Amino acid sequence: MSRNGFTLWFTGLSGAGKTTLARLVEKELKQRGHKVEVLDGDIIRTNLSKGLGFSKEDRDTNIRRIGFVCDLLARNGVVAIAAAISPYREIRDEVRGGSSAPFVEAYVECPLEVLVERDVKGLYKKALAGEIKNFTGVDDPYEAPGSPEVLVHSAAESPDASAMQIIARLVEMELVELELAELAQQTGDEEEDEEEVRARLKALGYV
Amino acid sequence: MGLFDRFKTKPGAKRAVVIGLDGTPCTLARRFIQDGTMPRFAELVSRGVLLQMDTSIPDISSVAWTSFMTGANPGRHGIYGFLDLQPNSYKIYFPNSKHIRSETLWAAVGKAGRRSVVINVPSTYPAQPLNGALIAGFVAVDLNKATYPRDLVPELTRRGYRIDVDARKVQESHDALMADILETLERRIETLLWLYDTQDWDLFAGVITETDRLQHFFMDAMGGEHHKYHSAFKDFYGRVDRFIGEIASRLSGETMILMSDHGFTTIERQVYLNTWLVDHGFLRLKDNAKSVEDIAPGSLAFALDPGRIYLNVKGKFPDGIVDKADAAKILAEIKQGLSEIAVNGASVAQRIYDRDELFSGACVESAPDLCVQPIYGYDLKGAVNKTQLMDREVFTGMHTQDDATCFITTTAGEIRDGKPHITDIAPTVLAAMGLDQPTGMDGRSLIHR
Repeated sequence: MSRNGFTLWFTGLSGAGKTTLARLVEKELKQRGHKVEVLDGDIIRTNLSKGLGFSKEDRDTNIRRIGFVCDLLARNGVVAIAAAISPYREIRDEVRGGSSAPFVEAYVECPLEVLVERDVKGLYKKALAGEIKNFTGVDDPYEAPGSPEVLVHSAAESPDASAMQIIARLVEMELVELELAELAQQTGDEEEDEEEVRARLKALGYV
Repeated sequence: MGLFDRFKTKPGAKRAVVIGLDGTPCTLARRFIQDGTMPRFAELVSRGVLLQMDTSIPDISSVAWTSFMTGANPGRHGIYGFLDLQPNSYKIYFPNSKHIRSETLWAAVGKAGRRSVVINVPSTYPAQPLNGALIAGFVAVDLNKATYPRDLVPELTRRGYRIDVDARKVQESHDALMADILETLERRIETLLWLYDTQDWDLFAGVITETDRLQHFFMDAMGGEHHKYHSAFKDFYGRVDRFIGEIASRLSGETMILMSDHGFTTIERQVYLNTWLVDHGFLRLKDNAKSVEDIAPGSLAFALDPGRIYLNVKGKFPDGIVDKADAAKILAEIKQGLSEIAVNGASVAQRIYDRDELFSGACVESAPDLCVQPIYGYDLKGAVNKTQLMDREVFTGMHTQDDATCFITTTAGEIRDGKPHITDIAPTVLAAMGLDQPTGMDGRSLIHR
């Protein structure tokens, strides 16, 4: 299989685990022979989008730029992974619509209560105290995706489990090749179920 | 607005509740409303419209519930039975949620940013991610794979949630099976109400499958008061009624639909279509055949449960011998022959459908060539190890296609004309929630807009 590029777009609140997951998925895909580039929102704001603020307009511009670069990479065979809050559904959908390569939206869901409590970067405390304005989830909106290709719950799952779930979905979408070990696991699973399924159906007279 | 309120459901957003009673016939529901067995349902029905509904053909749960959840015919969603054959092979496989080719109702709800909680709907295993939560129903095996998100599993386990009745208990005794049915119903109801009360949802869809299990083994109990399990049968429905009352008392402006996926009637005889095909020279089987996997060369046709007939077409099956040009003639012969299977002068086949009468869509190539719909009392089976054409088994109930239940909390004037079909439920739910019906659903909303 030739390794084709695609865009894997992480969205979610600040601190939900987008960068962590982006890096885990990057590592896994590189091991599988993919070319991978991560466009991290925090880093992009120090170069490509330097000078942009957090107004709706500036946020939209930032996302459009990241989306543009992702697509440039993806259509040249690179897996472009974006990790940015990207709070507005409309702009995410616009980026998706403008992509010439496959676009996979991964929603990293985490309850705000948990993020406020965790507050890894200390930003929620500041935002709640009014020291930071336009903070997504506090005094700026976040529009969750309606049906993302992947949905992970970072409050409930380990990062490794979420990352594997994302890989599994990419395999399912035929963007990433199934590894032999996974294939064995998958058929093993189904065979394991099959005997029980057959017995249950037999008990009701369907087999 | 509070800090977290933006994540909660918007006030005024229209919500919907679907309660499924697997296999409850509309005629039986009406009887229990009239004789006082289900007083709470009777009260609820006085605030809405109770209708008899047609279900899918074949009228078994995997096909019917998939038609419910997709609003589509099997030609689109691709599920024709509990078992099917792998492409270009006689090897049986058991279709699961991964094989459904149409979008589900909850996917459409999720696309609109609304949240669904889906519990025990058959044919949803393994659980697929959605905007919301889902616990898969029959034939789910492993609770971990049946539950999304998985963090619900520990609490489900703690509560002793059961995926299904163990119908194998009947080998022990009917008492043991009845006890298992009642216990599973209790656990089911407890979990349904717990998730109803604690989850955030716009669409709640919860199914009770114990009704179907009861009726497979105890349908004859409704024949007369002398029957050993007559009062147990009615007590069971009394418990279901109290559950309906619990849901009804919680409604606050939601549209509620109470439905079944097919009806039920008592069995006179099982009819083994493959035995008929063998006897009439259409099918050859290897010695000691256990399933259609043991088909022998030289066969023109075979049957899969319940009334699915497939031509052994050249190029489609490994030992296929039927030329496309001869297909119509052979099908006509089979139709004629099957329609002559009679009991007391009446044909067992109420109607025999051609593929194109029932199915259309991307999955039509894997559809059966004929579907035989029996009269009440004669359950069509795909077993191959029977020497007689008809027999009695342990089962006393069989499914019916034209007597499913459909109740909606609305006024008669708001219901459109025409008998409801199970594919109409998903469009009705979307309409009730103020959402557009996506393309790809064959049904249409039962409510005037």
